[in-house]
Amino acid sequence: MDLPNPPGPTSTDASKRFTQRSAAEWVTFIVASLILLGLVGLILFDWQTNQTQPPAFAVTVSEAVRVTDGRYYVPFAITNTGGRIARMVQVTGELNIEGADNETGEQQIDFLSGHETKAGSFVFTHDPQEGDLVVRVASYRLP
Amino acid sequence: MATSIDKPIPHPEANVWLSEFQAILQGAVGGFLFGIPLLYTVEVWSIGAATDPRWLLAVLAATLIGVGLLTQVEGFRQTLSLHPLETLLESIEAVAIGVVCATLALVLLRRITLATPLAEVLGKVVFEAVPFALGVALARSTLQGKRGRVRAENSPESEAEPTANRRTTAPLSRWLSSPTGGNLGDTLVDLDAALIGAVLIAFSIAPTEEVPILAASLPPLWLLLIMAASLGLSYAVVFASGFADRAERRQRGLLFSPITETLVAYLVALLASLAMLVLFQQLNPSDPWSEWLSNILVLGLPASIGGAAGRILI
Repeated sequence: MDLPNPPGPTSTDASKRFTQRSAAEWVTFIVASLILLGLVGLILFDWQTNQTQPPAFAVTVSEAVRVTDGRYYVPFAITNTGGRIARMVQVTGELNIEGADNETGEQQIDFLSGHETKAGSFVFTHDPQEGDLVVRVASYRLP
Repeated sequence: MATSIDKPIPHPEANVWLSEFQAILQGAVGGFLFGIPLLYTVEVWSIGAATDPRWLLAVLAATLIGVGLLTQVEGFRQTLSLHPLETLLESIEAVAIGVVCATLALVLLRRITLATPLAEVLGKVVFEAVPFALGVALARSTLQGKRGRVRAENSPESEAEPTANRRTTAPLSRWLSSPTGGNLGDTLVDLDAALIGAVLIAFSIAPTEEVPILAASLPPLWLLLIMAASLGLSYAVVFASGFADRAERRQRGLLFSPITETLVAYLVALLASLAMLVLFQQLNPSDPWSEWLSNILVLGLPASIGGAAGRILI
């Protein structure tokens, strides 16, 4: 270790050692305090703004349906518009086409925090444009 | 980083900043050593994401108290701190270093992205910061090891003669004159230590589901960042942080320069990751090669840190 001793008179007295903090150490302390205060501030801010609102969901189905090998991929995005986190969010997609069997798709999302958006796709064998596509959130669990 | 440390320092004022930087680096290295295993735990991410803010504040306060108790015994800086007020100051610094390191690690592993909601970010950072902060506080007392302390007490003159804690009995003069003789064996011992450390860490992480989860969430070029971080952390642990006596390492590692040794140790860590993933049947021949690559590199990050710890501890 080729580190130098702290500058100034090297006193072994513990009560005097405190005054030996160098400028660099003070800079570290100030930056460290700001980081921690910022973190605490953000936690308090989050507490005030988000945690009072229960989960609520908005599901959007994209118009850009992709067709690959005769299957229709329907992208969707789900957003938790509330503040609190929801677990096991169940998204179901139901495609009703006259003259054909109904097709259903299910998607379970493990975690959806407040204001978080997650995306996925439903896969159908019939063109969703020809029928009636209903995508909705069926259930969720609180943590 | 390395060049600035190796350069001779012309002005004593610069030493203050340099030694402070090295103290922070030492603390950060300790944080990563202790924090990485908990970083690869999917439950911590989800618990952090779902925790009430008041509880987060309590966790933060508990961390500060725990770090304070550790700092009372030995701070992360060079000096033993005895003054109670200084203990408090160092504890705050240690927790902040832990928070920053945990945040960087979470960003590196894509647990925190720009799309992550604030509440989730805060929960993950606070919970992951606990082991990082404890690691910062423990860095000096655990990693410095016996060798570093004994060496610190010895005068520089005693370096020349082989001391009891030196691994080889060959005199120093013969080492320097024949750089390949006893050095090859010593380098092998180093690589052996890297392998042991890497296998220990990789063995405990490979059977869990975190590796495929993390690997699947990484964008393609992100793997390069993981590689860079693995190499940088490995280098920082062994050479930049000053845990292992650098003069001793220079004498021992003549066969490999520090950068070469870091690269070789990283390859060893990757091999250990590969072996552990195959051992636990996490990778099958039917899997695409890209999955092999990403899983090995993701597990290679903790493995290389474990390997670096092995090289300075064993």
